Amino acid sequence: MAIRVNPGFIDVLDRYGAEDVQLCYQCGDCSTVCPHADDVYKFPRKSMRLLQMGLEQKIETTLEPWLCYYCGQCSEQCPREADPGETMMSLRRWLISRYDFTGIASRFFRSRTTEVTAIIAVAILTGAFLIYYGFSRGNFSIYDGEGAFLSSSFIHKFDLTIGSVLLIFLVINALNMWYLTMVKGSPFPIPWWIYLKQIYQVPWHFFTQKRYYECEKKQEHPFYMPWFIHLGLMLGYVTMLILVMVFVEKLQAGPEIVWSVHIFGYLATIGLTAGTIYFIRSRLRKNYIQYKKSHGTDWVFIILLFLIVITGTGQHIFHRTGLNEWANVTYIAHLMCVVPWLLRMPFSKWAHLIYRPLAMYFAAIRKEAILRKDVQLRSNPVLVK
Amino acid sequence: MRTGIFFCQAENNRNLNIDSIAKYSANLPEVETVQILKSPPPPEANFIAGQITSNSLDRIVIAGDTPGHFKPVFTKAMALAGGNTDEVLLASFQEHGARGENALDRAKAVVACATMGVPFPLVAFTGGNPVNHSTLIIGGGIAGIQCALEIANAGKQVFLVEQTGTIGGHMAMFDKTFPTLDCAACILTPKMVSVGQHEMIRLLTRSKLVSVTGKPGSYRVKIRQNPRYVDIKSCVACNQCVEVCPVKVESEFDAGISLRKAIYIPFPQAVPNAYLVDDKSCTYILSAGKKCGVCVKRCPKECIDLHETAHDIDLEVGNIVLATGYELLDVSKIEQYGYGVYPDVLTSIEFERLTNASGTTGGKIVTKSKRINKKTNKEEWFFSPEGVPPRSVALIHCVGSRNKNYNAYCSRVCCMYSLKFAHLIKEKIPNVTVYEFYIDMRAFGKGYEEFAERIKQEGTFIVRGHSASVTMNNGQLLVKGEDIFNDRLVEFEVDMVILAVGLIPSPGTEELSRILGVQRDNDGWFSELDYNGSPTDTEKGGIYVAGMCQAPKDIPDTVAQASAVAAGVLSSLTSGKGIGHLSSIPLSEIEARARKIHAI
Repeated sequence: MAIRVNPGFIDVLDRYGAEDVQLCYQCGDCSTVCPHADDVYKFPRKSMRLLQMGLEQKIETTLEPWLCYYCGQCSEQCPREADPGETMMSLRRWLISRYDFTGIASRFFRSRTTEVTAIIAVAILTGAFLIYYGFSRGNFSIYDGEGAFLSSSFIHKFDLTIGSVLLIFLVINALNMWYLTMVKGSPFPIPWWIYLKQIYQVPWHFFTQKRYYECEKKQEHPFYMPWFIHLGLMLGYVTMLILVMVFVEKLQAGPEIVWSVHIFGYLATIGLTAGTIYFIRSRLRKNYIQYKKSHGTDWVFIILLFLIVITGTGQHIFHRTGLNEWANVTYIAHLMCVVPWLLRMPFSKWAHLIYRPLAMYFAAIRKEAILRKDVQLRSNPVLVK
Repeated sequence: MRTGIFFCQAENNRNLNIDSIAKYSANLPEVETVQILKSPPPPEANFIAGQITSNSLDRIVIAGDTPGHFKPVFTKAMALAGGNTDEVLLASFQEHGARGENALDRAKAVVACATMGVPFPLVAFTGGNPVNHSTLIIGGGIAGIQCALEIANAGKQVFLVEQTGTIGGHMAMFDKTFPTLDCAACILTPKMVSVGQHEMIRLLTRSKLVSVTGKPGSYRVKIRQNPRYVDIKSCVACNQCVEVCPVKVESEFDAGISLRKAIYIPFPQAVPNAYLVDDKSCTYILSAGKKCGVCVKRCPKECIDLHETAHDIDLEVGNIVLATGYELLDVSKIEQYGYGVYPDVLTSIEFERLTNASGTTGGKIVTKSKRINKKTNKEEWFFSPEGVPPRSVALIHCVGSRNKNYNAYCSRVCCMYSLKFAHLIKEKIPNVTVYEFYIDMRAFGKGYEEFAERIKQEGTFIVRGHSASVTMNNGQLLVKGEDIFNDRLVEFEVDMVILAVGLIPSPGTEELSRILGVQRDNDGWFSELDYNGSPTDTEKGGIYVAGMCQAPKDIPDTVAQASAVAAGVLSSLTSGKGIGHLSSIPLSEIEARARKIHAI
């Protein structure tokens, strides 16, 4: 199949943050220093090349951007200051919008105004609905139990509704990703049993983020620990998501603390607080190369998460200390942050929670399939004489 | 000719008052429109085409620091408007030396010449001061030698100032020259001997320029000659002093890969062929005469005087030639290559000395051997003629060159000498594997491309892709890189790594530019007056640049430039017009000359 060249593709990527791709002169230093590049997945140079040539249809089928955890060594080493690390990051943003069938993600990534407006609109709608619902059904000075302002059974249903909408989008997008990378992107059909054989990759990468750790080993700075913090943030996040989706009624019950549930909530809060503060601080201080350039969506991502953590913690504390009115106010604020956050997920950086482990899984499958196909990978340099 | 002048100043960081130049140029003959275009963004061809049509312009002048940058757009616009594309002229401030105090007037003059269609160098000639017939050449490398011989052969007096103990410079250290594989010493040493014997050349070794006064045509210079401690005239180079000298230090001539004594001769063919004492390591001098001094007692000709002191020489010269050359970038700061950490990672000049038949191993290419230093009881690595030849060698191009973190520019010689190294290694060691990691192969000269092709035919592994890391695993050097043409990541086990290190101006360049008032460019090299039109002149009248000190270049180009400088010097001596600072011609004078030609 012929691949069509899109000469304007490099300008499109500019909007996603890849500003300096044109500077690259293909020396391969970045691929050499990358701790993740191997014989099958050679990047970032190759991705830079595809970008320079405008091979949009080829890039959308690649998994390489997902294999990069942005340790920044390539950008530090780059003799042309072409910033390959940021290019890979931008490609991830572009891929998220490519997998998204609605086109919302691409709008969000290209215009911060659109994104912020959408978030505020959803937040206001949520707030209005909740306030209307609360005053029509409950008492503002009661937080939980009989006659509660926002009863936990209602919140549970509400959460599940939002969750299913989210799930529908995510499943469709993930299927789109699978089609692009594994069907369109594979030169030959991949046997089904490799999918089964490699299935362990999904939970393994999801819960350990082993590859991120491999990135980190290269750094010598004593306080450099994005892997640890990121893992804590991610585990805290997933724990909290499960708590909210399944155990929200127990979580909201009070004022006595249900340790069997709340202990997880506290642990998750620690992870989330530490994570958001660390990443906000890093992005402000720009102390490592990967935090030097922050795309608008990065800020929205981390600030919204920070607000969710603060309001969530606030309503919990107010409730336990008997300030039910304040607890209700913070609860509404919390939900005003959470709903746009969750609805935004399939269209934002947030989606890498799903795409990354899936990409690791697909990459492992593709690698095994390619090696089994006996594709000549280790061809020697051509010796003329 | 209806002329339109467009000012396109990309980065006006030189405080050049563009408005004032624009006002001046509006009064030039036949100027229809003068426009200052804001850039960035670059001007658009359609807009300019519109301007050409509405003002019915026949000629366009693009003025600015780098107007050539915008020429394609204007040419396109001219073509769109149906005009003659040959009438898109450039007025380049940067190229025509609009710098320093008279920058504004000079820029105006450049615009005036372009507007009237008169080549700037045609009218910007200078004259005036009578010229002293002796010439000072600073730097005794191949550029200085060539220039000195050309001028002296014409019967004019030359003072050749050299900082070290011998002339010859870097070329004397080389083994072979590319692409002809001639022996470098065979070309250079006869020239060195001629310099030493020439009656019109006065050689001042171990000397430095201290100060300059006077005006073009009659510079009074003060040269400080550091003591050599050995009388050149009576020394017969019998080597007995070296045999008794107890001090051992790294040899500069051997790029630090071998040791020499504190009293030494840089190399056997040195000119002047006499020994000298290194006052930074001699025990007698360092202890102020309390210790050692055995060489003085041993010398049969009694020509060693360790109490000699520096003295100043005052000279009056008409022209000054700068030929100060280059040095290598300090490669140990590019940490990923492990230079200085792993013993067998060499710089290009170290390898050049290793493979040279007059080098420490007699031209045998070997890896370093280990020995225990008895004094410090530490392991040290050194080259021994009995060393083991490497089984595989990696050559890495562009180390510190074309790299925005170090030198943004191309060092111009590395591709070719790396190819030459590949040939020398293949020639001297049977069954050796040579890997060349390159980004772009810049084989641009006469016979260079054929040479590169020949090296490929010889079976060198040419890897298109730069290696970014040299590591060591169990005593084995590992070179990692991306082989782009074969689409794979490679990791080669090698015994020796040779880094093609980038070139930087020699350390004295900055001081010299301060003493002489000659400008340097952003990279530190001396600025020529006009890169295309007068590549050997500087904006100071009677001061010229030759060889590497202007920009990296190979030996043929250096020699050519040195000869060109000699032509310039000799023409100033024989024309009778005299010389002056080019920037000293008043604007009115240049304009008047241009108008005169324009009228014709």
